[in-house]
Amino acid sequence: MLLTSEIFTAPAASIRADGAHLFWSGNPPKSLADSLAEFGQTAPVLVCETEDGPSLVAGHSRLALLAAAGQPVLARLVEAEDDADKGRLYLADNGHRVMDDSMRLAALEYFAPLLDRAELESDILPRLGVRPTSKDAGFLLAWLDLEPEWRALLAAGNVPLAAAGPLARMTAEDRNAARPLFAALSWSRSNGVNVLTWLFETARMSASPVAEVMDRAGMNAALGQGLSPKDAIARLTACARQVRHPELGRLQARYAEAAAEITAGTRWRMAQPDNFETGSSELSVQVKTPEQLSRAARELTELAESPAWGKLWDLGSGNE
Amino acid sequence: MSKRLPSHLRRIGRVFVDRSMLDSPMARRVRDRLAGTDQADIPWTVVEPDQDRVEFTDGDAQALYLKEYKGKFLRFCPGTRAYHCCGYRIIHIGENCPMACSYCILQAYFQDRVLKIWANQDALFTELGNAFGADRNTRYRVGTGEFTDSLALEHLTGYSRDLIGFLENYDNVVLELKSKVVDLTWMNATTRTDRVLPAWSLNAPFINEHEEFRVSTLRERLEAARTCAQAGFRVCLHFDPIIHYPGWKEGYGEIIDLIFDYVTPDQVAYMSLGSFRCMPQLTPIIERNFPDTTYIYNEFVPGLDGKARLLRPLRVEQFTFMVDRLRKHGMDEQLYFCMESSEVWNQVFGFAPKDIGGLGNRLMDRAFGEK
Repeated sequence: MLLTSEIFTAPAASIRADGAHLFWSGNPPKSLADSLAEFGQTAPVLVCETEDGPSLVAGHSRLALLAAAGQPVLARLVEAEDDADKGRLYLADNGHRVMDDSMRLAALEYFAPLLDRAELESDILPRLGVRPTSKDAGFLLAWLDLEPEWRALLAAGNVPLAAAGPLARMTAEDRNAARPLFAALSWSRSNGVNVLTWLFETARMSASPVAEVMDRAGMNAALGQGLSPKDAIARLTACARQVRHPELGRLQARYAEAAAEITAGTRWRMAQPDNFETGSSELSVQVKTPEQLSRAARELTELAESPAWGKLWDLGSGNE
Repeated sequence: MSKRLPSHLRRIGRVFVDRSMLDSPMARRVRDRLAGTDQADIPWTVVEPDQDRVEFTDGDAQALYLKEYKGKFLRFCPGTRAYHCCGYRIIHIGENCPMACSYCILQAYFQDRVLKIWANQDALFTELGNAFGADRNTRYRVGTGEFTDSLALEHLTGYSRDLIGFLENYDNVVLELKSKVVDLTWMNATTRTDRVLPAWSLNAPFINEHEEFRVSTLRERLEAARTCAQAGFRVCLHFDPIIHYPGWKEGYGEIIDLIFDYVTPDQVAYMSLGSFRCMPQLTPIIERNFPDTTYIYNEFVPGLDGKARLLRPLRVEQFTFMVDRLRKHGMDEQLYFCMESSEVWNQVFGFAPKDIGGLGNRLMDRAFGEK
């Protein structure tokens, strides 16, 4: 592939702009429109010769804005040997853009049929600002094998890139069952990955489909309750955690109940520090004055007498 | 017609040998024992002194590496302070295992297919002699089954037989040979049946069938235990890892009952019970190597030592069931937990290690036949 020294002016309408390599084309940014209005075209678009005339290789926004303004286009001729070269040139010309995960995935989707997996890793990922050995590299490549509906959810910002990990391990049927969780809710990385991982692992452990696990966890019912997005995600996450860790959830609930009873009306807080490996409790209090310290000491003496402690000592022993 | 090696050794497709070990007794023995088998022609590669490491990749083939080991041969078990360790000492004879068990920590320790054997046995025996001979009143309970299976390579190396012969002169040492295969060729190397403890790992039949590959069957292991017991040895049996899977009660009940068709409680020196636990980095390795394995998705939480452990009430439930069943068969003081907390000891046994003078002392006494 060569960037030639041939630069020419052509009517915008004479340049075809329908190549698949224009994978980030979209609405031109206002800043570019303002720049063109103030200074005119500062850099030529890239085109290659085809039997049907010049075809755009890079510069879609410039071409669209100049076409709308009825202005001719300054173009530089390139000799692209194949579609992969066109894609590389497009990336080079758009290297200044701030990329998000959906843009990276769109680029990989373009290159995937043209290059083998090793070339995608060694050649394309670095052009997208991704180290081939990084976790994100693995996630991006995993996304290539997921259904278009899921990729649309990534583009919409509803599902995090890292969700490719658990999604790739699910069957298509299980992914299909989980998709409604992401249709209208935008999930953080940790919540999204956790919920999908918990669903996958519970389904594997119980040898049942994800749809059944979701139903058992009450997630389908939670989706239909009309909760705010924040509350819905909190509820769904809690449901998935509970179905994945039912016994731990039971212990935590019993602990929280007893701890609330013990510390009621005091400034003390209680926590179980080691996932019930021992019967330990941690008590903490914040004080800022000698009076608060005295009061906390009195409260501690009083709460030590609470009968609710009896519910805690054996919690996790299997003998409670 | 050439003989075949035992099934767990048939993947060995190459032998590496350090230049300095090329004429060692171990190298000669391995060469002799391969001769006449259908693996007689596998290539040998000499590892030069300046070579950092051996790399071997050939499908699912394995390599045997006869190495001059420069480290310590006698070690402490890598237990943690958060849980009670049995305190046995490790005689380090090699690393890695030719069998494939989904739960095995060696997958994380040694992420290759190279089975290492420390071929400089003279150095090993010198170190052991210095340690064991320094004070003949100091007792040692030692084993070789920590970083490898004690008997998996015995057919080729005769290592345990050599070790038993060496320890014949050390009345203060009891050697445990822990394995999942049956190789009893070492038996006639000793007159001290009271100083060698042949040991086999046991598990529920479902786990044996679905999670342990290229190993002897449970009945074969128990038959071997019976053979040893009839010859005057006391045996050890180990339930580790105990795995919480659907149907575990029936499975562990069945194997516990089966044990006593082969041996009696008085023929068992001791028996450990240990719940599956692992470093967090082992889980993705299991997922990759054993995609059908599902027990890893049970309720595991970070333990006091940072390893993933089954939630305590689930462990206690399993332990209680198994201990009750074992006690009905007459087992009592033989039983102990591998790497468990005082809480679990108390909940299941009704006492903690400190109440019996310490776990290490209890097992030392039992190993030497004093209790």
